[in-house]
Amino acid sequence: MKIIYKTLMLIGTTVLVSCGGVPEEKSATKGTENIFSVEEVLEMVAKENDVTRTLYTKAIVGKGKSQGMKFDEDWRKDDVEAGPLPALFLRGVATSIRKSPIPLGLYLGSDFPVNAANKFEGKQADLFDKIKKDQKPQFFYDEDQKLHTAMFVDIASAGACVSCHNDHPQTTKSDWKLGDVMGATTWQYPKDSLTYKETVEVLNSYAKGTVDIYVEYLNEIEAFKESEKPEIGNKWPAEGNYLPTAEVFLDSVKKISSYETMKHLMVTK
Amino acid sequence: MFKISPLRKRQFFGSIIGVVLGGTMFYLLTLNSTDEYVSIGPMNTGHEDLSCFACHADAKGNLLQQVQSNISYAVGAREEGVDFGTQDVTVDNCLQCHDRPNDRHPTYRFSEPRFKEAVKHIDATTCITCHTEHKEERVSVASVNYCMNCHQDLEIENDPLDKSHKELISKESWSTCIQCHDFHGNHKYDVPKKMSDTIPMEAIQNYFDGGGDPYSQDKKYIALSLEGWLKTLDK
Repeated sequence: MKIIYKTLMLIGTTVLVSCGGVPEEKSATKGTENIFSVEEVLEMVAKENDVTRTLYTKAIVGKGKSQGMKFDEDWRKDDVEAGPLPALFLRGVATSIRKSPIPLGLYLGSDFPVNAANKFEGKQADLFDKIKKDQKPQFFYDEDQKLHTAMFVDIASAGACVSCHNDHPQTTKSDWKLGDVMGATTWQYPKDSLTYKETVEVLNSYAKGTVDIYVEYLNEIEAFKESEKPEIGNKWPAEGNYLPTAEVFLDSVKKISSYETMKHLMVTK
Repeated sequence: MFKISPLRKRQFFGSIIGVVLGGTMFYLLTLNSTDEYVSIGPMNTGHEDLSCFACHADAKGNLLQQVQSNISYAVGAREEGVDFGTQDVTVDNCLQCHDRPNDRHPTYRFSEPRFKEAVKHIDATTCITCHTEHKEERVSVASVNYCMNCHQDLEIENDPLDKSHKELISKESWSTCIQCHDFHGNHKYDVPKKMSDTIPMEAIQNYFDGGGDPYSQDKKYIALSLEGWLKTLDK
């Protein structure tokens, strides 16, 4: 009987081992050096965000309003024919990123938000006080969620930021002026360093988020029943009742931001 | 061939019967038609037609590979363990059918540090906190006072309600929130302006338990059916 047991054990072990294990997911990226710290990557993507939001706020919302285009916090409602306000544009980008496989979190907050749910609390409120003083990014590790977190200043860079927030019925502060620190973006990522590929994926997920929300806006326009629809093509609202296509919009973002981003990406350590 | 000791015959045949029975059970219980015998409880409202695999996808590798990988992990020869049998069900599984751009309280929002305290009371980062599956109901929270975790400071300018939101909050009437507002904002209806027009709590509880929808039959977004979900996989 001992022989039977030994034989069975030998066969069992052979069968078990001969299958090999489940391939480790990391094997695909092994050998690829992590060359960027999470802080560097979040600074890069935050810079892209600055450029994108400023372009959207100034060239689409600001100029669009002077052409009679409407932008509303309830822009998704069926009976509202309008586009997303800049804060909601950012929310749309964040939502799109979360739908992607890239584990990047993006949020917008303030100490005087229009929506009370966006008011900073705890650690974020403390760090935001520092940001208001020196406008420098703040980094910390969120122990509870095991996420590397960064906060970047959000400045009133366009007249539309100031006028909309000052005039909003739910505003908690009505004396905003250009150049004020209105809030901060918060970014989160689970790893402390990223490979080149992962870094490009983070930047791409942000760019895709921009396109997604902008396309949603264009689709909303398509469904307008009463409002005049702007012509969508290569022209911008500054030239009349026009809106750029998503590709034209993204191209402009890339033209403005690409130098800074490329400078980072080209660095080899 | 092996010789079987007459004293070990019972054990031998017992083992053979065990292996055959085990194999048969494994085969039968992995058939789609026997889902209900494997399930830990009846599906929640709206999920009745889902197959197990819709949420419980096969884990990577075959069973032997999974066993080997986890043994390797246990002895430190591998950095991470692997799922055994089926993959863990996560929020992503839910969102494949229920995700929508206009969700008033999307789960990802609560990952932000500012919701740290609120999440300690109610973990809104995951769907199953309120929608525990296999309970044959729609919503499974013990109490409907969860709005208190984030909206203590709410004040409405030109409050349209005949009793102000501020007053309701000061009196800790937290159950009244849900009598006007659906949590995910997925219904098309006129929000009541008089307290007397709000939805009775019994109707809300009935809805949570899997009954009729008291907010509206008109929804902004309809979740994907099993067929619709399968089509998205084909794409």
